[in-house]
Amino acid sequence: MVEEKFDVIVVGGGPAGLSAAFVAVKAGLSVIVLERGDYSGAKNVFGGIFFTNVLSEMMPDFFKDAPLERNVTKRRWSLLTSDGEISGEYKFNKFNKEPFNNSFTVLRAKFDKWFSEKVEQAGAMLITGAVVDDFIFDNGKIKGVKVRMDDGEIYGDVVILADGVNSLLAKKIGLHKELQKEDTIVSVKEILSLSKEKIEERFGLNGNEGVAFEYFGYAVKGAIGSGFIYTNKDTISVGVGVTIKSLLEHKINPNDALEAFKNHPVILPLIRGTEQKEYSAHLIPDGGYNKISKLYTDNIMVVGDAAGFVNASLFHEGTNLAVMSGKLAGETAIEAKNKGDFSAKILSLYEEKLKNSFVLKDLKQFRKLGKTLEKNPQIFNKYPIILEEFVSGLFTVDGEPKWQKEKRLFFELMKKESIFGFIKTAINLRRVIL
Amino acid sequence: MNKFKSMEDKLGLNKFKPSHETHLKIRKEVNGKKVDEKNLVENVLFVCPAKVYTYDENKKEVIVSFENCLECGTCRVAAPDEVEWQYPTGGFGVTFRFG
Repeated sequence: MVEEKFDVIVVGGGPAGLSAAFVAVKAGLSVIVLERGDYSGAKNVFGGIFFTNVLSEMMPDFFKDAPLERNVTKRRWSLLTSDGEISGEYKFNKFNKEPFNNSFTVLRAKFDKWFSEKVEQAGAMLITGAVVDDFIFDNGKIKGVKVRMDDGEIYGDVVILADGVNSLLAKKIGLHKELQKEDTIVSVKEILSLSKEKIEERFGLNGNEGVAFEYFGYAVKGAIGSGFIYTNKDTISVGVGVTIKSLLEHKINPNDALEAFKNHPVILPLIRGTEQKEYSAHLIPDGGYNKISKLYTDNIMVVGDAAGFVNASLFHEGTNLAVMSGKLAGETAIEAKNKGDFSAKILSLYEEKLKNSFVLKDLKQFRKLGKTLEKNPQIFNKYPIILEEFVSGLFTVDGEPKWQKEKRLFFELMKKESIFGFIKTAINLRRVIL
Repeated sequence: MNKFKSMEDKLGLNKFKPSHETHLKIRKEVNGKKVDEKNLVENVLFVCPAKVYTYDENKKEVIVSFENCLECGTCRVAAPDEVEWQYPTGGFGVTFRFG
């Protein structure tokens, strides 16, 4: 279908692949991006917030024409109990000015499409509806990829695998092991429409400000997972994420978990009167540092979700890791092109660059997250209940003298969990989420 | 308890272009052993967010409603040996308008 040979073949037109393509094509390399959807973003889903700290280095003026929904000035982390919540939040007006704390809610079908247009304008070729099934080998060396269409052979010096969380291609050549149930989250999400005015009124926002609310504890019927609400311009994204292992153990379908979350007395008033617009599902690679794929081999680099670059700690970052890894892979491709050598020896530079960036530094810091949550199931079922009893008891207005009430509640609490148990869990948690 | 849409109605909100051919298959045998399809659906594949897999008691086989697939890969991870999974051919499957 395409006769010529490219310097760079990018498989997958999401943020990681597009970043790699953008950097490489700007340096004068010939680049082709193969996207399986009808457009970039057609198959992509996230919460979510697009963190733009790296994007803004590549495109300083991006927020002037990018399809951004709202800039996130308010974030809330909430421990849900069976019928209430205990939460902490921030709202800073300084985040409502450029660069808007590099945190925007976006809708991926619009945003990724816009990004792909920027990459095309920079001179890359984008082919949509192109599913890549395999590589082209010549004497054991990768020479290109096979697209599932007539005459679908495409040749290139380096293939950047940006084919997302399932990354069948990285698995095919042994760079990535199969995803495991305990470190793969399935997230289901709905887009709910609500007028701009109502969103601003309901969430206490001015103009383009937006919120990100994350819910832990009893968010998904006691399973290991969390829920979220993000505000877009005139829609709300609401969803839950649960590990596949936990869904299987608790025998919960993710849609039922989402319905339970939506009907929670804390959540319901926030989404009342909305109209459902879309229902989506997507996997999140939650294995962290220990489950990152091998990142390169001869003529190959792996970026974004395909490599497992998601920071699932309290910060919930994925897009900026995707953009950064793509950018670094693009830079490495430029150096390889200059040297005329696309072997693993030169591409190892990509891993060096990642090690010196926040991508691998952050993932290393939070490497024990998944294991810690799995070993401390009390966070999701027991603690929300006893904390609710304590806090709601403390603030119940009933005429009981305060000193007596405090003493009583403290002893009741200690019957359910020792101070030592609390402290141990708190230390374990602090290590993995902040 | 609410006036939110059911799973079926929710899927109806999405834009799908179904292929005439399934991209999801259940292997009849794994390592020489016959797959217990009823058990597989009831105890594993129930996790599919779009409930693509159901068990037909009369036909004694799995019905794969691949046209509703959200292409997430949950079934692939939940039952890696039994599910034969690939992406739908370009131009087919779900197209997210919001994402």
